[in-house]
Amino acid sequence: MVRNILTGPRCLLFFLLLLLGVHVTGCPAPVRMPPGTVPVTEIPPSEGKRLDAPEDPRTLAAMNLTEQGRMLLERGRVDEAISLFERAANISPANGRNCFYLAEAWILKGDLYQAREWNRLAEIYLREDGAWMEKVLVQKKRIKKRENGFSP
Amino acid sequence: METKEKETRGTGKRLFLLSAAALASAALLLGAYLWHLSAVIDERFSARRWSVPSTIYSDSTLLFPGQRINEETLRDKLRRLAYRVVTAEPGRTGEMRWQGNLLEIFLHDFDMPSKRRDGFSVKMDIQDREIASIVRTDTGETLSLLEIEPEEITLLFGAEREQRELVSINQVPAHLKYAVIAAEDSRFYEHHGFDVRGILRALYTNIRHGEVRQGGSTLTQQLVKNYFLTPERTLKRKLKEFFMAVAMELTYSKDEILEIYLNEIYLAQKGSIAVCGVGEASRFYFGKPVERLSLAEAAAMAGLIKGPNRYSPYENAKRCRERRDWVLRELLSNGWVSPEACDEALAVPVEPAGYAAYGKKAPYFIDYLVSQLPVYYDPDDLSSRGLSLFTTLDTQVQKAAEEALDAGLKQLERNNPALRRREDGEKLQGAIVVMQPRTGYILAMVGGRDYAVSQFNRITQAKRQPGSAFKPFVYLTALDRFTPSSILSNETRSYDMDGRTWQPRNTHPVAEDGLTLRQALAVSDNLATVDLAVRTGLLRIMNTAMNFRFSTPLKPWPSLALGAFEVIPLELARAFCTFAAEGVQPNPLFMRALADENGNLLEKRHLKIERRVSPEKAYVMNSLLRSVVTEGTARSLLSMGISFPAAGKTGTTNDNRDAWFVGYTPDILALVWVGFDNGDPIHAEGSVAALPIWADLMKSIPQYVSGRWFRQPPDVVTRTVCRESGGLAVPNACPETVTEIFLSKNAPGEPCPVHRHGHADGMGGGVTW
Repeated sequence: MVRNILTGPRCLLFFLLLLLGVHVTGCPAPVRMPPGTVPVTEIPPSEGKRLDAPEDPRTLAAMNLTEQGRMLLERGRVDEAISLFERAANISPANGRNCFYLAEAWILKGDLYQAREWNRLAEIYLREDGAWMEKVLVQKKRIKKRENGFSP
Repeated sequence: METKEKETRGTGKRLFLLSAAALASAALLLGAYLWHLSAVIDERFSARRWSVPSTIYSDSTLLFPGQRINEETLRDKLRRLAYRVVTAEPGRTGEMRWQGNLLEIFLHDFDMPSKRRDGFSVKMDIQDREIASIVRTDTGETLSLLEIEPEEITLLFGAEREQRELVSINQVPAHLKYAVIAAEDSRFYEHHGFDVRGILRALYTNIRHGEVRQGGSTLTQQLVKNYFLTPERTLKRKLKEFFMAVAMELTYSKDEILEIYLNEIYLAQKGSIAVCGVGEASRFYFGKPVERLSLAEAAAMAGLIKGPNRYSPYENAKRCRERRDWVLRELLSNGWVSPEACDEALAVPVEPAGYAAYGKKAPYFIDYLVSQLPVYYDPDDLSSRGLSLFTTLDTQVQKAAEEALDAGLKQLERNNPALRRREDGEKLQGAIVVMQPRTGYILAMVGGRDYAVSQFNRITQAKRQPGSAFKPFVYLTALDRFTPSSILSNETRSYDMDGRTWQPRNTHPVAEDGLTLRQALAVSDNLATVDLAVRTGLLRIMNTAMNFRFSTPLKPWPSLALGAFEVIPLELARAFCTFAAEGVQPNPLFMRALADENGNLLEKRHLKIERRVSPEKAYVMNSLLRSVVTEGTARSLLSMGISFPAAGKTGTTNDNRDAWFVGYTPDILALVWVGFDNGDPIHAEGSVAALPIWADLMKSIPQYVSGRWFRQPPDVVTRTVCRESGGLAVPNACPETVTEIFLSKNAPGEPCPVHRHGHADGMGGGVTW
């Protein structure tokens, strides 16, 4: 008889019932929901692309502006560079390199508070990028030194 | 006899000497007078000759592959930027062609402070309302970013309300110069400021016709009259005009006088604005710079000087053409055009380009901008120096916001007759502000339903109770002690408030005695929120609000938790930006740059950020406010077509006087307010009155929706906890578990105290934090 069950067509049914049983007893009971009240039980799903997805065209467009800004920064055209970094930040708010260069620009302008805040944001967004993180930390030290009254 | 003769000679000599002395004195006096007049003229002309209004521009538009677009608003935008639709491939600047999925544009030259670019042609492939690629036609280069020039929004006029584009004499084509001279003063290059032949000819013509048909004034006299003299017709004034004209001719060359004249003359009326000078008039009548005027157009323009309104092609095309033809024939008779050129021009009809009347675009935004500018700039300079102000405004977003508000308010009135009012000034009102949270750029501002009816800006000037839209600041303050899974009491309680007893109520009854913090915020539970506020500390909440820079007075009363104290909507939007910008608060930015009349950069304004909360707390708040949209009071957004990740908070005040929704993504934030100015109830909550307007707006501006969400900072952890106790869930023991995020500093570390032994230990209900 046992053999029949395990080998016969009822085998599939048996396993399905078994699976169902395990599922029902192993799961937490559904949340009690009195009528007309509160449905929220979980953190909302984190749907959507990551804010700094590197392959994203939005990120690429922002990087284009960041690069233009960087070149202006190198030529000492700080205000114009900041304008481009701002636009890049609007397109891709979590563009860590853009935050880094914004911090650089504010160092050049002598506003160390702004520099520190952008450096902090760069630190958040670039923490998985070893090479860039190194730059961010060096920048952080530089800002701190300046805040303490040392010139570079 | 001899003596008599001598006497006569002596008298004659004396008379001669006297006359000579008198003449010399008169000449001296005249010379002195002319010298004085030329000094007056020189002084006037060495200073600024004209007041040129400042121009306010929108921000430039960025387009890039992968960006979703609203084709309709983009088309409108390009049309407003004077791109002309053509059927062939665009070959000249300012042309565009839409062909199925392909948009081809020959861009205008781009001229902004410190940024200049010659126009070029691009092909933009648009697939399923998303830009698939942008390719530069001439080089075949694929572009990752394309910038479209800013749009003119309005002009800041002085008291004269004159619009003028200054041109140099070298820019003016010869046929226009000669057409003006032919029409007004054909002997301009021959006389010295006055023209006796001209006067006699005018006199003869006028006597012959028995009416004043022709004036004898030269261009120089006309100029003097406009600049220095009053319009009355007296001999004294006429004499002064004569002498000043002579003085002017002595001081300036003919070309200098003609240049001043061509920039000075009144040529059209555009609503309440006078269009002056050939530069501006050329654009007004023919939609092109003066350099590109044809002979026929130049003649039509010259004909207009006599009576800009009478001969305007917009008023009477036939009369305009007759006058133009007369000018052309005068040109021919003076030998300044060939018979062939004249015939060719005579055959061309007068075709004005059409113009848009100066409607005030984004009027509330402009008012706000202008109200802020005197702090930094002299108002006289703003209305006279021809400055260019580049703002953060996005005209596509502005239009979408205006339309969404208008449609939303009309819909509310249709749905509920009690909201309808007869008087325009009493009608249901609304306001919207749209910002980019990271930088504080104000993209759009609609301060009311109809600017013509009320100029009161409900975004920057109104003070209204935020209701539940204030609750996030209570929950944020509580995050130091409480977690999203903390259980809050939902029992009715009374509180002492300034010596009175106050008992909060829920708008919709909630059956549970206890709610998690996440649930309480999502469904906007009043009882649990006040309970949380009192346990957190009302002073601490007040300090949080002050740290977020609410400028209106707040009091540490329990009702503070329910938004009973008034706020300025712009300040509320700015405060919400802090969550969306991961803890840093931007200053609202409305102006980016200022340039002088030659395009030289005078000033750049930058975003300034200040950290208000840690990125971790901001992330938790974003998650809590996301629940409002996924499962709370704003959950209907999904059915309204909002499928991208968003967060926000609804708000409704006592007796439904105000309805709010402040919603955001990492890229954009919009605040919507609906209410009556006099505080009448609107019989609807924020989720019914304000939320649909927000949804409508967001659907119209897909270019700002990236579909991205925030990245979880390292100091935020995810744990599965027992819903009943809030402790770490014990597998197969806790009957109700929930996965939740926590600040790592106060994440639960102990297993559920209620079910850790495999069953409830009977120690009593849930643990509150």
